[in-house]
Amino acid sequence: MSDTWTNRLSEYLDGELPESERATLEAHLRACADCRATLEQLRRVVARAQALDDTPPTTDLWPAIARHVGVVSLDARRARRRLSFTVPQLAAAAVALTLLSAGSAWLLLRRPAGARPSQSTTTPSPILTNVGTYEANPRYAAAVASLERVLAQGRSRLDTATVRVIEKNLGIIDRAIRDAQSALAADPANSYLNLHLAQEMRRKLELLRQAAALAGART
Amino acid sequence: MELTTPGVATLRRDLDQATRDAETADVALAASGDGRAFERLYRSHVARIHSLAQRMTGEDHADDLTQDVFVRAWSKLSTFRGEAAFGTWLHRLAVNVILARRTTLGTERGRYDDSENVLDGVASRPHTAELSLDFEAAIERLPDGARQVFVLHDIEGYRHEEIADLLGIVPGTSKSQLHHARMALRRHLE
Repeated sequence: MSDTWTNRLSEYLDGELPESERATLEAHLRACADCRATLEQLRRVVARAQALDDTPPTTDLWPAIARHVGVVSLDARRARRRLSFTVPQLAAAAVALTLLSAGSAWLLLRRPAGARPSQSTTTPSPILTNVGTYEANPRYAAAVASLERVLAQGRSRLDTATVRVIEKNLGIIDRAIRDAQSALAADPANSYLNLHLAQEMRRKLELLRQAAALAGART
Repeated sequence: MELTTPGVATLRRDLDQATRDAETADVALAASGDGRAFERLYRSHVARIHSLAQRMTGEDHADDLTQDVFVRAWSKLSTFRGEAAFGTWLHRLAVNVILARRTTLGTERGRYDDSENVLDGVASRPHTAELSLDFEAAIERLPDGARQVFVLHDIEGYRHEEIADLLGIVPGTSKSQLHHARMALRRHLE
C-alpha cells in the first residue's frame, strides 16, 4: 500500500503539515481506507513508543563507575565492614568489652554512698564516624571550613541580630545533622534518613554560603 | 480525617517537591565530592539512561555507554548550574555521549542505511507473546538513522530541529527517517 499521501502521514500526525496540504490530505483520508488504516497504525506506534518502560541494566554498573570516579560503593563499604570483623577480632572485642564493663562496675561500686553518676553534659555526644560521615568527606569539609573562615572574618561587619539568627539556624541544622547521623548509625540503609541527612548537609552549605556572601558584601 | 482528591494531589505535589529537594541536595553533595550522594543519583537515573543507550545503540553497547555517561557526569557536575532539572541535564549529556560514540558504532553496524529493503527486514510480524519486548527488539533492528531519530523523537520527545542539530542532518531527513521507522514498526503492533 502506497500512494502520494502515505509518506506525509507522519507529518500530518505530528501536526507539521502546512495548512493547505492538511486540508487536501484530510479530503483524501475520507476517500482512502488504506491511508486511514495506516494513519491509525502510525498513531498506535507513537502511543506505544511513549508508553515504553525504562528498565535498569541486568548487572549493577555502579561498582565499575565507582572505581572509575574513585569512590567506594555503599555495598562495597558494607561488605568491607562486614569482612573487617574476623573471629579473633570479635573475640578480642568481647574481651575488651568484658574488661570495660567489669571496670565500670568496679568504679561504680567504689563510689561513695550518695554520690550520683555525672549527668550528660551540654556538649553533644560524639558522632559515629563509620556511618553518615558527610563531615568526614574532605571536599565537603573543606567547603564548610572555607565558608566558616570567610564568615568568621566578616562577622564584625554584620549586625548582632543577623549574627544571632545565623548562629541559631546553624545550631538547629547541626543538631538535625547529628540526629540523622545517630539514627543512621542504627539503620545505615534507611533511605529516608540518608535523604534527610543529605538535605540538612545541603542546607548547612547553603546557609553558610549566604552568610559568607552577606559578610563579604558588607565592606 | 478523610483525604479528599485535592488532599491527595497536594500530598503528591509535596512528595514530588521533597524528591526534587532531595535530588538537589544530592547534586550539591556529589559536586562537593560525596560518592554516596552520586550513587543515589545513579540509582535514580540509571534505568532511563540505560534504556536510552540500549535503544540508541543496541544491547551490546548499553552497559558500556551507561558507565561512560555517569563517569562523564561525575567529572562535569561542577558545571551543572541547576537551570534545568538534574535529570534533564543528565539526559542531554547522555545523548551527547551516545552520539559521540556513533561514529565508531556506525562503522560496525552500517550507519544510516535507510533503504526500504533494510526497513522491510524489520517489519516481520513478531511471533512471541511479549509485545513490548518485541517492540523494543524491533526498534533495535531498525537502521541506525531511523532508529536514532525514532528514539529521540517519539520516545524522548525531541523536535526535528533539535534532532537535526544533534545528528548533523537537515530536519527534512529527520522527518523522513521517522516516517520510515514508524512504517516499519507498525507491523509489530497487535
